[in-house]
Amino acid sequence: MTVLETSFPSTDPGRAGLRLSLLSEWTKVRSVRSTWISLIVIVVAGVGLSALVSNVEAGRWASLGVVDRAQFDPVRFSQTGEFISQFVVGVLGALVVTSEYGTGSIRTTLATVPRRTTVLAAKGMVLAAVVFVVTEVTAFASFFVGQAVLSAHGGRTLPAGSTIVTQVTSSAIPVFGITHAGAARAVFLCGVYLSLLSLVAFGFGFVLRHTAGAISSFVGVLLVLPLIVQVLPSGIADPIEKYLPSNLGLAMIVVTTRKTDFAGVLMTPWMAAATLLGYTAVVVALGAWLLARRDA
Amino acid sequence: MAADLAATVGAGGSAGTVSTHAACRSRVIQAVGLSKHYGRTTAVDDLSFEVRSGLVTGFLGPNGSGKSTTMRMIMGLDRPDAGSVTVDGRPFHALPWPLREVGALLEARAVHPGRSARNHLVSLAQTNAIPKARVDEVLDQVGLTSVAHKRVGKFSLGMNQRLGIASALLGDPEVLLFDEPINGLDPEGILWVRNLLKALAAEGRTIFVSSHLMSEMALTATDLVVIGRGRLLADTTVAEFISSNTEATVLVRSPEEGRLADALTRAGRGGSVRRGEAGGLLVTGASPAEIGDVAHTEGIALHELSPQHASLEEVFMELTSEAVDYHGSPSAGSVG
Repeated sequence: MTVLETSFPSTDPGRAGLRLSLLSEWTKVRSVRSTWISLIVIVVAGVGLSALVSNVEAGRWASLGVVDRAQFDPVRFSQTGEFISQFVVGVLGALVVTSEYGTGSIRTTLATVPRRTTVLAAKGMVLAAVVFVVTEVTAFASFFVGQAVLSAHGGRTLPAGSTIVTQVTSSAIPVFGITHAGAARAVFLCGVYLSLLSLVAFGFGFVLRHTAGAISSFVGVLLVLPLIVQVLPSGIADPIEKYLPSNLGLAMIVVTTRKTDFAGVLMTPWMAAATLLGYTAVVVALGAWLLARRDA
Repeated sequence: MAADLAATVGAGGSAGTVSTHAACRSRVIQAVGLSKHYGRTTAVDDLSFEVRSGLVTGFLGPNGSGKSTTMRMIMGLDRPDAGSVTVDGRPFHALPWPLREVGALLEARAVHPGRSARNHLVSLAQTNAIPKARVDEVLDQVGLTSVAHKRVGKFSLGMNQRLGIASALLGDPEVLLFDEPINGLDPEGILWVRNLLKALAAEGRTIFVSSHLMSEMALTATDLVVIGRGRLLADTTVAEFISSNTEATVLVRSPEEGRLADALTRAGRGGSVRRGEAGGLLVTGASPAEIGDVAHTEGIALHELSPQHASLEEVFMELTSEAVDYHGSPSAGSVG
């Protein structure tokens, strides 16, 4: 009845392991439209908002006082798209998991690869890799576009080794080079922040197994949690604030070589990245534990 | 092979004989004491059965009797609360290439609606290192080649069902599980599934197919596993199932039915004589020949003398309605 062109007996050495699951998950991710729409939104929002915000801020420079000029952050301006992208990567991370629960295809997946941690690892690695590549490319492109916009408004690149403070009395808008202290780190960590956030939403997906639930929990952590902390008495709120995921993101992307009103409120960039990595690990581990325990 | 199997089936009278034959074969599904509860609801209750290779085994039960739960436990998707189930002697998660050994159609709509049929199958094939050429082969086999690049969301239920069957066939597996495969199919599709199941079994594969449509199983299945309320009601062959669950009844019509009834009762063959709903007498415990002899001796004319065969549907209804009665009160839910 069936004439096979090739054979693949079940006695072949090896097994349906991680390497093959990575291929499969890559096929799944790139074969749905929502992935491409999400990635295009990340690039457009990143580069577009960088140009827009840099343009607006460039126009304000002349009217700013010395204190405000000291807080001028051309790197941060170029990464404004991050605010939108964090929700996009959240939706993408949640959907990678919950779309399979929504349709029931998670059972098809687990029937082809019964080792559930392998499935979770393959999905997570493909998601993180796709988001990381796109957000890093976007972050660096946004950086250069933003600095180009500032330069077009008569900005001048800061001399090597100097900080923005040395230029507060100048009429020339300061422009960062990628080699300036903190610039490359902030841009790089913008992509790291978004990649880790996508994995947090991914973890929520395995915990909640429901698209709306996972996305609203993710948005709750990013937007609602800070609002709740804000209305707490400052004695309670102040020590908590720097641990909020949204403030970890701020700490990772802001260039903190200067004295600003953030100083002391935020963690150092690498400390913030490590903390967010810790949160991500906890959420994904909880998802993995529940995936292994529960009926599919 | 087929003739050999037919002989096996014919000889497979008691449950003991069945298991002896099953032990000779390499690929079987073996469930031992499977139990599954969801909260207070008992979905599957101490269920033990075997599925023999090279045959279509029907898995029968009314809706909600635990068929799908059992299928999910075989596939390692739901964890049994007690008992175990193995495929070829191993639990499902221990199979190195699951898709090449067991193919399953569990839910037809379980595909991302935005993905094309081909991409869906490619993603499955990749997990088990199955070449892409095989994807096109199964698409052709189920007749979906022309819509291979269409988004699955635009598929009809029948096309989804075919795609689900394609994914089950993908790994060219020895063991195939189908959960209600003819649901939503048109008559042509039903015929196609029926022939496919038979062809797959004729190739020596083990087919385990669930249905709540007994008449359908009578056409496709050789062996039967019947459950009601999660409990095993029968593990037998279709032929054995019908004959052991029904008494042979003979319908007799005569102008002198009252006198004939008296004569048959006097003849005392241990059966019963009662009036049929559509007229005539329904006689058990006597063959048509014996009834004819009695009538001849008494000089009674006969207008009709026909043996009545119970359909699988009727037998099944009777069996499961009893099961429902037995398990009517919650206290009767203990393992028996």
